[in-house]
Amino acid sequence: MFEKKDLLIIVPFLIIAAGIFAWFNLRSSAGGIAVVEKSGVEICRIDLSKQTKTEILDIGGDMHIKLKVEPGAISFYHSDCPDQICVRTGKLTKPGQTAVCVPGKVSVRIIQRSGEKKYDGYTGWHQ
Amino acid sequence: MNQKRKAIPTNINIAPRSLSIALLGVLTALALVLSALESLLPPLPVLPPGAKLGLSNIVTMYTAGAEGLLPAVCIAIVKGLFSGMLRGFTAMLMSLCGGVASTFVMWLLLKIPKKPFGLIGLGVGGALTHNAAQLVVAIFLTTPAVVYYIPWLILFGILSGILTGMVLRIIMPLLNRIP
Repeated sequence: MFEKKDLLIIVPFLIIAAGIFAWFNLRSSAGGIAVVEKSGVEICRIDLSKQTKTEILDIGGDMHIKLKVEPGAISFYHSDCPDQICVRTGKLTKPGQTAVCVPGKVSVRIIQRSGEKKYDGYTGWHQ
Repeated sequence: MNQKRKAIPTNINIAPRSLSIALLGVLTALALVLSALESLLPPLPVLPPGAKLGLSNIVTMYTAGAEGLLPAVCIAIVKGLFSGMLRGFTAMLMSLCGGVASTFVMWLLLKIPKKPFGLIGLGVGGALTHNAAQLVVAIFLTTPAVVYYIPWLILFGILSGILTGMVLRIIMPLLNRIP
């Protein structure tokens, strides 16, 4: 069923996927700050490690999006969009993780807290 | 995939062009039905958000090989407009970009001299292009942070490409009986 040369397409991409996956996961630890963007503009930041109770955040927009913020996690709770991809993404807990509602133009991503940036190096102006 | 049009049986008096148009109509309908059917499948918990089987890629893949680039791209465009009607403007934009880009890449892979890749290679190439084009659209519509999905998009692009390639491989003997 397989042509041998088909593996020339499959194997390199598998390696790339594994590499990117490892890169995203090795550098991130739990906790962080959730950045909520609407139409590419940041509308709020939530420090997940300081969150103590569960609450629903109403973002609104075309798709009436609601986010659920819990201690250490954030997720899409409700969206009117037909695909529900954002809701099915589930909880985001680690820096680097992202959930997006493309029809509603709302994205949530988690970044590292500024105090714990783990850069290997730094170039440019130091302020 | 590269079969030449066989001579029309003498007892059927149809111009090859009419036959081609009728076949493309059936193929377009098939692509629409597969894409609608696919959206009815319940989301599997193991699949990443937005992962789809890409069954209608089977149709564009066959069309790109048997009928050429233009008919295949037309089917991809009709399919995109159709998902626009069903699932809204964003879905239409994603489907159009993904469908046209993947059809073009599958056609290019077919054009490589000596045909190094089999149907599975074509399917994987098409599925990966489909996902890459949709990722670019998503980056423009929302945030560059969607690159977080890249590993999943590659993994499931490969899996769905293998699936579509295998399905086409199985049904190819039947399709080759089309005059």
